[in-house]
Amino acid sequence: MMSQSQGIHQLLQAEKRAKDKLEEAKKRKGKRLKQAKEEAMVEIDQYRMQRDKEFRLIQSKIMGSQSNLSDEIEEQTLGKIQELNGHYNKHMESVMNQLLSMVCDMKPEIHVNYRATN
Amino acid sequence: MALRDADTQKQVKHMMAFIEQEIMEYYEKKEKQIEQQKEIQMSNLMNQARLKILRARDDLITDLLNEAKQRLSKVVKDTPRYQVLLDGLVLQGLYQLLEHQMIVRCGKQDFPLVKAVVQKAIPMYKIATKNNVDVQIDQESYLPEDIAGGVEIYNGDHKIKVSNTPESRLDLIAQQMMPEVRGALFGANANRKF
Repeated sequence: MMSQSQGIHQLLQAEKRAKDKLEEAKKRKGKRLKQAKEEAMVEIDQYRMQRDKEFRLIQSKIMGSQSNLSDEIEEQTLGKIQELNGHYNKHMESVMNQLLSMVCDMKPEIHVNYRATN
Repeated sequence: MALRDADTQKQVKHMMAFIEQEIMEYYEKKEKQIEQQKEIQMSNLMNQARLKILRARDDLITDLLNEAKQRLSKVVKDTPRYQVLLDGLVLQGLYQLLEHQMIVRCGKQDFPLVKAVVQKAIPMYKIATKNNVDVQIDQESYLPEDIAGGVEIYNGDHKIKVSNTPESRLDLIAQQMMPEVRGALFGANANRKF
């Protein structure tokens, strides 16, 4: 009789020990998983920050060059307009005289295809 | 245990790769957008610049034509020159219209001058066209004050009009000669390929 209850007792204890070990293992696994997730999140955040930094660099480079470009274009345009004015002043009189002579000097003539009808 | 660990590790790595992929695509898209914006702005700036230059050219042409009109009104006030001009304007107007009955309209102040010119022109017209003609001078309405001079010639029922004033001639001629005028004033167009 004593050996039976001893045996059962031992079994129960073994069962309890096994259950405890299982629990421990699960807890450890849970911890490891959590740790792995946290490490992953950290890595991802780092990656995101790095991309963001790269992006801002590109962005500020582009915005900076924009204002330079628009100043340059403005300058070029003014230069071209000045050139235009210079050219105009040089040739204005001769063009004017040509136009005026075309307006004022005329030799009235009838159309080439005119035929007298009666 | 070790196998399941490796499995979970793989899963975690997969998810990480997925999320990092998303992040990468997001930033690549943003970078592309900025590039596009830059190009659009660039194109806008170039366009504005071009329009500015074209507007400047247009203004210069307008100045030229206004100056020309001023000089024409001076010619009109110069009586001997105006006389010669008027002879040509009337005769050519008649030759242009070629109707059997014509009415000549002029400015009120030119009436006596134009009357004489028309008298001179009628026989010349008859010889050149080998036709008879009836030319009257409009005594009911005259050209408005702001027109420097010249004549308008109408057919009998006022349905056809030939406008031969210095202004109308200038407008016509300037319009027809515009390419040459632009070339002479501003230089040939470097972009023209034909």
